Amino acid sequence: MSSSTERVSLDTGGKRDTVPSWTGVSLVARRGVRQAVLAIVLPLAVVAIWQFAGRGGSLFGGVLPAPDRVFEAWRVWAFGPAGLGLNPYSGTWLANVLFSAERVGKGFLCAILVGVPTGIAIGWNRLSAGALDPTIQLLRPIPITAWLPFSIAVFGIRDIGAIFLISLGAFFPIVLNSAQGARDVERNLIRAALMMGAGRWTVLRRVVLPASLPSIFTGLRIGLGIGWTAVIVAEMVAVKSGLGYVLWDAYYVGRMDVVIADMASIGLLGLVSDLVIVQLERWVLTWRRLQSFQS
Amino acid sequence: MGTIRFDGVSKTYRGQREVHALDDVSLTVDEGEFVALLGPSGCGKSTLLNVLAGFEKVSSGKLLFDGATISSPGPDRGVVFQEAALFPWLTVWENVVFGPRVQNLARSLYESRARQLLELVGLTAFADALPVQLSGGMRQRVGIARVLVMNPRALLMDEPFGALDAQTRLSMQQLLLDVWQQLGTTVLFVTHDIDEAILLSDRICVMSARPGRIIKTIPIELARPRSIASLTSPEFVAYKAEIMADIRITAHH
Repeated sequence: MSSSTERVSLDTGGKRDTVPSWTGVSLVARRGVRQAVLAIVLPLAVVAIWQFAGRGGSLFGGVLPAPDRVFEAWRVWAFGPAGLGLNPYSGTWLANVLFSAERVGKGFLCAILVGVPTGIAIGWNRLSAGALDPTIQLLRPIPITAWLPFSIAVFGIRDIGAIFLISLGAFFPIVLNSAQGARDVERNLIRAALMMGAGRWTVLRRVVLPASLPSIFTGLRIGLGIGWTAVIVAEMVAVKSGLGYVLWDAYYVGRMDVVIADMASIGLLGLVSDLVIVQLERWVLTWRRLQSFQS
Repeated sequence: MGTIRFDGVSKTYRGQREVHALDDVSLTVDEGEFVALLGPSGCGKSTLLNVLAGFEKVSSGKLLFDGATISSPGPDRGVVFQEAALFPWLTVWENVVFGPRVQNLARSLYESRARQLLELVGLTAFADALPVQLSGGMRQRVGIARVLVMNPRALLMDEPFGALDAQTRLSMQQLLLDVWQQLGTTVLFVTHDIDEAILLSDRICVMSARPGRIIKTIPIELARPRSIASLTSPEFVAYKAEIMADIRITAHH
């Protein structure tokens, strides 16, 4: 047996090289810094040109404020004294961010809880695909904006209406990508699990679900993006708080500096929440990352 | 235990055009016997394995495993796939103990055996590695260990070394010989490699394509225990010449 193990070990040579070494990590870090510098050049240039063009007043006949005024408005909005005063936005930034983020969080969670199991059922079982998929495909082309009157009529001007719209918007990409993931599970993995004595339910939970996760995460990222769109639309019309509400309100009273600061806030929140999902994905799908690292 | 019996088994795939993957195949594999199915790709040898594994159903004929009809896949027939088919999100160790775990066996019943098997296939140091960090040969050794841990009555191997480079294939064949000579499990081994079939098996069933039939059965009476050194012996070469002649005849048909 010993002679054969020696021969067997022939093909293990050099395998450890594929694990990144510390010099590799510092190289990655340096590349990260370079990428961050590269990424910030374009927005800085745009702000600089905008500032230059708008000095001595503002652009488009006084409609568009220069960046310094936007930053000042943002500063007061975020850190100014709250409550009484001439500026109704002063000090309310964090509260409005939390209102919006909470709605997105709740709606997104509902979309996951319904979308992932439904998607896997569609991708895994022909019967549920036949029963569910046509209805989903029929509802999918209806934009969330078209659901607004329906939502207000049914739920009124309340949080639940916004949450409904967010979960509806996020549901479709999540369900479609989960279904795709479940459909694409390698047949031999399922056969292997059955051969080792797994029942259908075990196969679903321990093979189909993990194998679908890369695809599910794609759905989550798209769904969260749509969730942010939906929350702004809903808050502009169907509730009286949050970044979307401030956006529309500031526009009506002519505070374009607040409008732009609000837009930038939405962009930042979308970016940060996407980064959270990406980090979660990297953590859950280590095996997947190693796979692409290898090839 | 581990007796396989095909009795006039046919398998037809319906579709735009009917495909007779298996046509009236009869074959008996005795307990502890190592039988190789040799033939060109598309000759139905994988289909034969798949119906025995319970992945597909026979169209007609009788198929018995230890006297019982096969209705579904199960751990009594351990399948080793060509591309190993390991779960890429589980470590080597988790892959090896997947079978006992999904069967809800008590840890004490399988853990020491799993550790021994990992040792046997030379992967103890890689227990915590993910499949993607292993070479093709190592992955296939995990594929063998995770099947053996279930103590199957038969091993069904579907071109398990077909995707490996020549050198790795030799070491895997040696490993399989060693393992089989220790355990004595019934093995049905699908291959298109003549050398491999002669080296490993007690009996070679040569198959023809469309419809898939067993056209010749050749007992291989090389002395056991064998090793890859047997590949160059005169008896081995004689068997190889005989089989190549058979295959040439079928190719002309």
